[in-house]
Amino acid sequence: MTITRIMRFVEPLIGVVGVVLLWMLVARLAANATLVPPPAVVWQAFVAMLDGDLPRDILASLAHLGVGYGLGVATGLALALAAGSSRWLEAVLDPLAEFLRPISPIAWIPIAILMFGVGRLVPIYLIFYASLFPIFVSTLDGIRHVNRNLVNAAQSLGASRSTVLVHVIVPAVLPSIVAGARLSLGVAWMALVAGEIVGGDSGIGWRILWYQEFFQMDRVMAAILIVGALGLAADSVLRSLQRALSRVNPSLASGA
Amino acid sequence: MSYALTAPLPTRIRVLLPVAVLVIATVLWEIAVRSTRSQGLMPMPSGIALSGFELTRSGVILEAMAGSLQRVAIGFVIGALIGIPLGLAVGTLRPLERSLRPVLDGLRSIAPIAWIPMAILWLGVRGNAALFVVSYAATFPFLVSASQAVRLVDPRLIDAARALGASRWDLLRAVLVPSTLPMLFTGARIALAFAWGSIIAAELAIGIKIAGQGRNVAGIGQLMVETLYVKRDVDALVFYMLAIGIVSLAIDAGLRHLQRRVLPWDRQ
Repeated sequence: MTITRIMRFVEPLIGVVGVVLLWMLVARLAANATLVPPPAVVWQAFVAMLDGDLPRDILASLAHLGVGYGLGVATGLALALAAGSSRWLEAVLDPLAEFLRPISPIAWIPIAILMFGVGRLVPIYLIFYASLFPIFVSTLDGIRHVNRNLVNAAQSLGASRSTVLVHVIVPAVLPSIVAGARLSLGVAWMALVAGEIVGGDSGIGWRILWYQEFFQMDRVMAAILIVGALGLAADSVLRSLQRALSRVNPSLASGA
Repeated sequence: MSYALTAPLPTRIRVLLPVAVLVIATVLWEIAVRSTRSQGLMPMPSGIALSGFELTRSGVILEAMAGSLQRVAIGFVIGALIGIPLGLAVGTLRPLERSLRPVLDGLRSIAPIAWIPMAILWLGVRGNAALFVVSYAATFPFLVSASQAVRLVDPRLIDAARALGASRWDLLRAVLVPSTLPMLFTGARIALAFAWGSIIAAELAIGIKIAGQGRNVAGIGQLMVETLYVKRDVDALVFYMLAIGIVSLAIDAGLRHLQRRVLPWDRQ
């Protein structure tokens, strides 16, 4: 038993240690700290960045994400609820979404640069656009699949429109909303990095290119890894939200 | 939110209404741009159509699209060659899965475009850096779908085949491949969509890096950078954007069609 418990703890580390060892080996073979900065050098760069620009860069990126994602999710949710409450609105909004959805946020970058100029509005707009569709599609899908029998049952027991809304429809759609929000966050993060790299003037993505201008590849590498860590952290926040939700009401777990 | 309570609209309205809204919006847009005399600053529908016609006839867009699509195709194959075997291994061997999971999740969370400076350093700006980004993007959807696919194979099917005396080869051919292929196909669709978005991001980033160092129009992304900074042609930019959307729609429709043709047993 103890051996398996130790293994449970050790196993996830094996991969990480393996990758670091491999990285050290490649760096040793390349023998060029610019071409392949060794892990120790990247770690030093990270520590130095922590004292310098890094907190500001991360805050700038989180501000982009907060504004763009907040607006995108709120708009997508509102549009989905509107489309779900009116067949007329649905007939307009649904095809429009299907028309715009295949246009990747990336394809908007040049136009966003043209509209807003290089700056923070480019990543914010891209994040907004990217997060709009997953939550819209997922929420509308959830509304479409609300069990009619539940609504009928509540109504025949005398529930008012608002009671049906609060006690039947919203709980039934909530898992779809959270699942959509999580999907939105994934694409929003990709849009953030692309938007900051190509059309931004602040944030961790922009900083990657800034370090490249000065040929500080150790810092470039550290910033790339930070991008991954932040993306992972953002996703795990929403995943635990999803899990908490399904614990409150296990019947909600399906579809989430 | 009374979706469950309202009756569906007649099909005629469901088709005509969005078309009518689109037409009215297009006309209003055209009028707005013309009346404020902001042609050239703001895109307008007639200008987009005109430059679209022009760019298609001269072959400029087709050439750029072909360059980008070629890189997407190569990156897609590289992603499949790395992602599928790794995904199958991770899905089959639990200890391997537990030890590689943190690394793979971490790598997957790095937006492929973030690698662009390293990719340029390692492979150069003439296409191979973009290829690295695309391959990186395509690898993870393959990896995830392959590992899920093997895990979701119904064990009863395997037991049944074994009980009927199937050899390892029979098991692979009659059970494992048919039941994993549908999910792999879905993974391939995600991989291709992701690769297509990433090639444009990579080409934009490279295009901006090398802007002013002579023309190097190798893909749709570089073409957009040139159109943005050199020609400042708004209408063409919107046309490129729409064309990118149409290509991704066409790619996905093609793969869906293929999925139905090749995997008729998949009823999803």
